[in-house]
Amino acid sequence: MFEVGPAGEEGLRLVFLEAPRPALTRCLLRIQSAAQGYFAENLADSVVGYTTLTLLFHPFRLERDRAEAWLTEQADCATLTDSDDQSLTGTVVTLPVLYHPSVAPDLEWLADQKNISVDQIIALHTGTTYFAYATGFAPGFCYLGDLPTELATPRLADPRAAVPAGAVGLADRQTAVYPGISPGGWRLIGSCPRPLFQNGEHPTAYLAVGDSVRFEAITPQEYRKFGGEL
Amino acid sequence: MRELVIHQSGPAASIQDSGRSGCLQLGIPPAGAMDADALASGQYLLGHSADEAAIEMAYGNLVASPTEPCHIAVTGAAVDLRIDSISARMHTVLRVEAGQQIQITPGAVGVYSYLHVDGGIDTPETLGSRSTSAREGVGGFDGRRLMNGDCLPLGEPNEPPSDRAGDLTHTPPGDLIRLRFVPGFQYALMQPDVIAALCENDFVVTPKANRMGAQLEGSRLDTGIETLLSEATTHGAIQIPPGGQPIVLLNDRQAVGGYPKPGAVIRSDCRRLAQARPGQRVRFSLCSPQEADRISWLEQHYRDTRLS
Repeated sequence: MFEVGPAGEEGLRLVFLEAPRPALTRCLLRIQSAAQGYFAENLADSVVGYTTLTLLFHPFRLERDRAEAWLTEQADCATLTDSDDQSLTGTVVTLPVLYHPSVAPDLEWLADQKNISVDQIIALHTGTTYFAYATGFAPGFCYLGDLPTELATPRLADPRAAVPAGAVGLADRQTAVYPGISPGGWRLIGSCPRPLFQNGEHPTAYLAVGDSVRFEAITPQEYRKFGGEL
Repeated sequence: MRELVIHQSGPAASIQDSGRSGCLQLGIPPAGAMDADALASGQYLLGHSADEAAIEMAYGNLVASPTEPCHIAVTGAAVDLRIDSISARMHTVLRVEAGQQIQITPGAVGVYSYLHVDGGIDTPETLGSRSTSAREGVGGFDGRRLMNGDCLPLGEPNEPPSDRAGDLTHTPPGDLIRLRFVPGFQYALMQPDVIAALCENDFVVTPKANRMGAQLEGSRLDTGIETLLSEATTHGAIQIPPGGQPIVLLNDRQAVGGYPKPGAVIRSDCRRLAQARPGQRVRFSLCSPQEADRISWLEQHYRDTRLS
């Protein structure tokens, strides 16, 4: 089940009416790539969200009826196979993380809450391969799922005014690394010294939608070697 | 090298052109001039053929001087413009000698004004644009708003055409700005009384309006929709956070968001909204995509006629 509709006067939005899963994201990425080819320079931008693909056109470049028909046909022909959910066809990225109370204000709190040890938290967090469902919030920020149910935790009622760059957070069934200093309401259980957003003349993000991500526990010495400050 | 020295930058001056495209998935918003017509007017006056960058001022309060003679034009919201304390006109090409001071102070109406210099502001392009995205630290001058003492490089000068007069300044907004929006996103999920409350009541622009978006205040809109899965935002999208006060997202919006949106305001009305000061009343009304297309074609025709 899907719907195609306007996204403002210059855009179209495709939404699949189902729960997010890797197979759906891969399908959206395939349609995004086809759209970039089909609409070529008429397309100003395109964004894959959890269950959506948004196409934004340059002024006067959207032929509404034709584009809607094309997008509908793409979605109609899309196949979502369960094997797509499991297969790790995207890039597998490993992120180093220091799990230590000095850089993780909620680590011991979470252990208390869940009645498990800090080591068990680390084992659970590093023992899962996460899927990159969506980007956004800030350059380099990537929503990763699904967090093991044992670690699922609600957001802070009052978000912190400043979360340090590299903070590894949890919220509901999601985890993510804050690429830069920002306000944030996720529970912080570690710190990743690997920069996730490279600014400059050609800004680039380290993670992309569709990537698979694993976390790897490192020692304070290794953390410093990666450029982390303690 | 020709430079423009900023002696006094004012509260929120930044380098802007028509913005960047293709980087929303990276989390970088389009940025660009809040009043695209004012930017186009200045480029036309100075005979700029490309998308040259200008200095955008909010509540213009700027003092600058060139290191070599140049031509300038000031467009957008009405300001008091002086060259070495002598009153000068907006929307016309002015010659400024090396070391002369361009002095700009805010007028009574509007928000964003533009200082254009022949050759354009020649800071390096990032992702195909010179526009400043200050929150992300991308583009413009070191990725930030201008500060006192900045020396901005200027592009190769061109002799501006002598015969040009062109002004796309919007007429003052009057009591009420109409915000026509194309329904979409979560429109169908919202109860008819929410849409009715949105369209039948006036809202007021709050002092929190900025380049990210125009925060409005009015009757509380209870969408009954919990936070959604993150998806792309668009220019003009009407975002309704749990507090129930709508925000019309503009150039520096977050690229992706999770709040419900009943639709997006058309560009034409967003420009008027961007120039509206706190206290301005606005009212939403529905607009079909086809009607939105007709409006933008008509406005393009108007621009082509005025600037030729």
